[in-house]
Amino acid sequence: MPQYLMSVHGSDEDYATIDPAQMQQMFEDVDAFNQQLHADGAWVFGGGLESVSTATVVDGQSEQPVFTDGPYLETKEHIGGFWVIEAPDLDAALKYAAAGSKACQGPVEVRPFQPEPPAEA
Amino acid sequence: MTHYLMAVMGAPVTADDFYGYGSKEEMEQSFAETGAFNDQLKADGQWVFAGGLAPIDKTTVVDGQGASPVVTDGPFLETKEHIGGFWVIDVPDLETAQALAATASKACRGVIEVRPFDGLA
Repeated sequence: MPQYLMSVHGSDEDYATIDPAQMQQMFEDVDAFNQQLHADGAWVFGGGLESVSTATVVDGQSEQPVFTDGPYLETKEHIGGFWVIEAPDLDAALKYAAAGSKACQGPVEVRPFQPEPPAEA
Repeated sequence: MTHYLMAVMGAPVTADDFYGYGSKEEMEQSFAETGAFNDQLKADGQWVFAGGLAPIDKTTVVDGQGASPVVTDGPFLETKEHIGGFWVIDVPDLETAQALAATASKACRGVIEVRPFDGLA
């Protein structure tokens, strides 16, 4: 079955200024959404990322690897976390994304994985 | 143990340039090295998930916060470079994750952003 990445974007500012009651509601709604994904057999992976300030960029293509603190993309908003789901088709994935978006109180980006990722070679 | 995202970052690639590898031989060599890297992750018990993503123009953004979901074609962030694929690994510390990212970067001929998860759902 095809796999889809459902990613949630936000800024550190967004996460720092969210109302605690609203955050609690979000946690509960996301937890219920996660349970639904498990119950439907759609769950593959899900997790929330640490602040983007914890990111390191690694370029190992030359003789010695080059490490650079900070994210690769210098955007205000970054991926804050994501799900990987299995769904029969894009329409089904978009429906999950709508429910995930409501639960996490933000837009969700949906992107299919390659049918046969080299990672599974 | 902590989970880390290793995201491969770069500009969109097409079949015209052998997906950025320049030649068929170089592409096959990279796939072989990435496959060997994946096998090693699995043998070491560090593998959680990995996959290559479909081209960025296959992306959809879903905002399910209103009464009916708003679906928009295209990515959330309007950047020239994007995540092309990623690994999720489970390792003792950031140093281990960065060392693996250097090997992965060499294998897949790309720059990798490493970021810790703050928890898994």
